[in-house]
Amino acid sequence: MREKINQEVSIVMYYSAKQKKAVPHLLNWQNKDYSLGPVDYYHTYMEGQERQHIFELSDKETTIFFRLRLNSSNLHWTLETIHDGLAD
Amino acid sequence: MDLQINDIDPLTMHIDLNSCYAIIEQQANRLIRNKPVGVAAYTSPGGFIIASSYEAKRMGIKLMRIRDAREIYKDIIILPPDPDKYFDAHRRFRTVLERYTSEVTPKSVDEFVVDFKGSRAVQDGLSLVNTGYKIKRDIKESLGEYVTVNIGIGPNRFLAKIAAGMDKPDGMDVITAGDIWNIYGQLDLIDLPGINYRYQARLNLAGIYTPLDFLEAPMFKLKKEVFKSIVGYYWYLRLRGYEVDSARFGTRSFGNDYAVGDKTSDPEQISRLLMKLCEKTGRRLRKHDYQAQGVSLGMGFENGAWWGKSKRSKSLLYSTQDIYLSIMRLFRHIAIPAKVTHINIAVFDVVPASPIQIGLFDGTRLDTRSLARASDKINDRYGEFTVVPANMANMQDVIIKRVPFGSVRDI
Repeated sequence: MREKINQEVSIVMYYSAKQKKAVPHLLNWQNKDYSLGPVDYYHTYMEGQERQHIFELSDKETTIFFRLRLNSSNLHWTLETIHDGLAD
Repeated sequence: MDLQINDIDPLTMHIDLNSCYAIIEQQANRLIRNKPVGVAAYTSPGGFIIASSYEAKRMGIKLMRIRDAREIYKDIIILPPDPDKYFDAHRRFRTVLERYTSEVTPKSVDEFVVDFKGSRAVQDGLSLVNTGYKIKRDIKESLGEYVTVNIGIGPNRFLAKIAAGMDKPDGMDVITAGDIWNIYGQLDLIDLPGINYRYQARLNLAGIYTPLDFLEAPMFKLKKEVFKSIVGYYWYLRLRGYEVDSARFGTRSFGNDYAVGDKTSDPEQISRLLMKLCEKTGRRLRKHDYQAQGVSLGMGFENGAWWGKSKRSKSLLYSTQDIYLSIMRLFRHIAIPAKVTHINIAVFDVVPASPIQIGLFDGTRLDTRSLARASDKINDRYGEFTVVPANMANMQDVIIKRVPFGSVRDI
């Protein structure tokens, strides 16, 4: 089931100089930590002059999907959507 | 047969992303991979599936209402479209192809034609089939490991597209001049790109029932009897592998279609929807630096009726306000017979907006052009619909961004 969340969340992110990539590593949401797997799709879009970065990925155990947004103007992270891989 | 089959080397490649929107969603979310997935404009039971995954297609779920799809498979995963993500995929797809040649023509968000004549790859002696496999690998690297493409190679765009459809998903096929009879022998008329049911009926009336009949039909018959225009001659050439589809046409119109979510017959509600559609159309018109010389309005109703009207304008249309006033003049002609289900507006006969002809009212209160430019500047800076006309207030979630079919000029 897909669920809209739209809540600010805490994220640990790292930058790999070798891969030239910045990826979210750990998500804390509702007082629970989720180790994040590889980013499956990354894209950006503009909201006015603010660039929004979208990271779509799952937890390491592949039990839950997260769509995360990083607002580049204030560097706030928002968990937009989750999905358990099942139909609504 | 007067004109021989074109036996040039097949150097035209047609590439399309398999089940584009669905496969990009499956790439983004690994929990829904290898499952039946549908992308629908609205996720309510009456919403229409605009793309389905291969797993759903194998069950017979293609373009249909969600409630009908659930009759086939109740656990189908339905997702709303994510236009920005698909536009991003389109741009990445294009970037990969442009590494091979600059002759890359987008046909839609998920389809490209690549002309390899004179390309570096061909000059280096690379076979087009090897190049195709390399492109498949590059696309996986750029878009993700789950994404696959169909590749067709042929002497012209038409045959390359047929080749791309022969071995789905993740296929690659080549059609050469020598294969044409055999390939046409395996297809029905309706399988040919560009032949719809109306064209099929027209061909049947002329005694043409198969692609082989179509190929063998003399040119004068196609031109004078079947299509009654130059179109018949183009088909004569196209079927034989000659290129007739490479012309690029300039922009002639901008429009917006809307399938009404909360169906209504209230003229006030409809005029608010029209205003938002005019604003979206006006923004696109101005972004491409055009102005228009006419407007059209079409509406579909719950009882199956359809109404449409268009009108050329005496003055050039540029601002949303100009477009809206012209659309409302058309709207006043409708006697609304039932709830409105679809609205389509367009501005046509577009001409470049600059240099502008100085108007009598420029710089006065009646100068709508400067107002349009000023509000566009604000919306560019702070996001779409930051400044809107008063009757568009509280419409943020109505007529949201949708994926375009065909045109890629706004990507």
